[in-house]
Amino acid sequence: MNKISVEVSEELDESTFSTKLDNGLEIYICKKKNFTKKIGMFGTKYGSVVNDFIDITTGKRIKVPDGIAHFLEHKLFEKEGANALDLFSKIGVSSNAYTSFDQTVYYFETSEKFAESIAMLVKLIKEPYFTDENVEKEQGIIGQEISMYDDDPSFMVYFNTLKAMYQKNPVRIDIAGTIESISHITKDLLYTCYNTFYSPQNMFFVVVGDVDIDETIKLIKENMSKYEKDRKGENKKIEKFYQIEPEEIAQKQITQKMDVYLPQLCIGYKLNLCDGYEIAKNEIIVSILSDMYFSKQSDFFENEYNLGRVNDSIYMQYEGSETFSHVLISTTTTDVDLVEQDILTYINKIKSEEIDEELFNVIKRKKIGESILASDNLNICYRRLIDSIIDNTNVYTDIEVLKNLKANDLKEFLNKLSEKNRVTSKIIAK
Amino acid sequence: MKIYKINDNKFKSIYISYNFTMPVESNDIFSNNSVLGALMAKSSMKFPNQKEIERYLNGLYGASYDVNVEKFGDLYNLEFRAEVINKKFLPEKEDVLEDMLSFISSMIYEPADWTIENISREKEFILERINERKDEKLKYGVQKMEELLCGGEPFGNFLFGNVEDVLKIDKNILIDSYKKLIYAPVTIIVSGNLDGYDNIDELFNKYFKNKIKSNDICALDYNTRKNNDIKFEEVKEEQDTTQSILSLGFKVIDSSMEDFYALNLYNAILGTTPSSKLFQNVREKESLAYTVRSRYYRFKSMLVIYAGINKENYTKAVDLIKEQIESMKKGEITTEEFTSAKDSLMADLNEWKDSKVAMAKMVFSNIIAYNDSNITIDQMRENINKVTLEDVIRVANKVNLEKIFYLGGSTNE
Repeated sequence: MNKISVEVSEELDESTFSTKLDNGLEIYICKKKNFTKKIGMFGTKYGSVVNDFIDITTGKRIKVPDGIAHFLEHKLFEKEGANALDLFSKIGVSSNAYTSFDQTVYYFETSEKFAESIAMLVKLIKEPYFTDENVEKEQGIIGQEISMYDDDPSFMVYFNTLKAMYQKNPVRIDIAGTIESISHITKDLLYTCYNTFYSPQNMFFVVVGDVDIDETIKLIKENMSKYEKDRKGENKKIEKFYQIEPEEIAQKQITQKMDVYLPQLCIGYKLNLCDGYEIAKNEIIVSILSDMYFSKQSDFFENEYNLGRVNDSIYMQYEGSETFSHVLISTTTTDVDLVEQDILTYINKIKSEEIDEELFNVIKRKKIGESILASDNLNICYRRLIDSIIDNTNVYTDIEVLKNLKANDLKEFLNKLSEKNRVTSKIIAK
Repeated sequence: MKIYKINDNKFKSIYISYNFTMPVESNDIFSNNSVLGALMAKSSMKFPNQKEIERYLNGLYGASYDVNVEKFGDLYNLEFRAEVINKKFLPEKEDVLEDMLSFISSMIYEPADWTIENISREKEFILERINERKDEKLKYGVQKMEELLCGGEPFGNFLFGNVEDVLKIDKNILIDSYKKLIYAPVTIIVSGNLDGYDNIDELFNKYFKNKIKSNDICALDYNTRKNNDIKFEEVKEEQDTTQSILSLGFKVIDSSMEDFYALNLYNAILGTTPSSKLFQNVREKESLAYTVRSRYYRFKSMLVIYAGINKENYTKAVDLIKEQIESMKKGEITTEEFTSAKDSLMADLNEWKDSKVAMAKMVFSNIIAYNDSNITIDQMRENINKVTLEDVIRVANKVNLEKIFYLGGSTNE
């Protein structure tokens, strides 16, 4: 029996159980009493930014084409011609998969077919089936997916910001790669990535719902044990290489013309890398800053709204991982140039002022309320859990950080936003 | 005064939905009430602007409040909605529900004296909503089809109205719209964890009883369509995009609310799941589209199929979609297609139980459709389960293609 640890959040009236199987697979179960839906997620700590590593089967260093992690996701979620979405759908279960910069996750949602779904998910991930023909077919489908995003102004304004901030880091390239880069993907390269990054010690299994803890662990273990024999290079250390990213930004501004009615603006600040705990903390700090200085309760928003420049909201958010760390401020606006100037002047102003303690405390109170509200939503529960796995922090770190946060933490963070490392991305009408 | 309550103590919060439902006497209701709703979401006598509202709500542990406009078939609905945490889960066990009810009451029944500036700013806000709708292509393709299929019927209007009507709005029009609104029938639904609130009826009575003028929404007609003639038409709008949008509109002739469950299943087999005919044939077999789905409109007896395609594939995609519709009429439905669609629908219904908002919406829709607030999820599941293959084939033969809409680059025809 593997040791099971429990983390309890009194604030959320909720517990999360975790264990590690002998093969290295980490299992996390967030118990949600009386909820109908059960969510199962099988993921690997491998995403689009990894394109240079040691092939675990040969021990040789290899460089792979951009977009291969996402390509692999598509191909794994397919069994001998049948789409996995369809296999799940046939038993009345909805499923999907996603690839981000630092993770690839496959999941299902079910109310009645939990055991069958776990078996199906493990089988799909553990039985890769790549052929030259199915790789070629997928190049066409993903090509369409890439062009769908080309028409999406919010997607473009975001990726152009990353492009402007980073010189070398692969985050500057679309997660799906380019039509050119995916044309170099072969079945052998897919197996190389699969063998290196889909071994149990690099993976995690997350379950959210009203399930029995011991039975669920047993279920996952039994399904995994069917594949114990073909352990290629498992338990070998994974070695990844990243090009050194200079501190400096790549370019100050990217403006793109698109067929849109409302222009979009995104301002980015490139920051120094930090560890998982700092990432979790920065996320909370920035969400508080966003509420204090840019949300509808701020004088700044009120002014921009009354001037007719901004309609909906202005968001400030933090994104961090092993290889990047940045702040984004984004909005749709009738005048990208004026609003950009207003935001930049405003950032300087709030950097020079003292933090309004009273407002800080009200927003902190609001954030505690938001965490409680969010725990009614199973999808938010799993996102918290996966974030903590990737950041290597405790499940309820965010709640702890929030409770202990001081106004001075905000002040310190604001000082990291420097004009030198600021970029702007704009989408304007043709 | 009746309050529909859905109590489930697995949740930590309480969702409140306060609805005014009205028939569409004149099409400018969409523009007028959009601007009115925007003003009422952002001001009242007590809270003069959005900033004050937000600050107040932040103090109630991030409680939320907003105004939502919606169409239920040809009926227009303006909903004030809010969510607060049950006192049991707050650090000092503070009760914020009563504060919230008092707040909603003042937002609805004590409106601000709108200035010319307020009004013109909210007109601007709605104009942007109207003008930016083309920025989301697939959604626009569906809306455009609703408009084409329901020309002349209230449902055919864009939810936020149109530019000409918005430009005409002045304070008198808004005051008139406000009066009509508060005389419209009210339906109140509360969904979530009501533990510790045995006094909830009294609380609502205290803040709303003397304010409500009417609460009978069942006399209202959600589908005013008089004739079911099919006038086939193909509409093309050229736009320079990488991907093109295709939507097909169908009327379901001679259907009644009794066909609701069979049509739901029909729709699932046709195009809402990855096992559906559209997903399997248009996407998986022929790779013609990344997105392809169908949507069934319960209150308007109609169906819309939408897809994102390459412009070269226009004719091929239209033909393939038509083929799927025809095959269902002939009863070419495998046991696997039938069962998996049924299982998916039943699972979806079950999962509504995990959402306060979905449960409130379900009760409200059933009140409008059947004048029955007591229908449970399990009864709905049972009704889906009872649908036979013959039922599906019977309703399949009521589905008639009427319009095709295309948005994108020239198809060289």
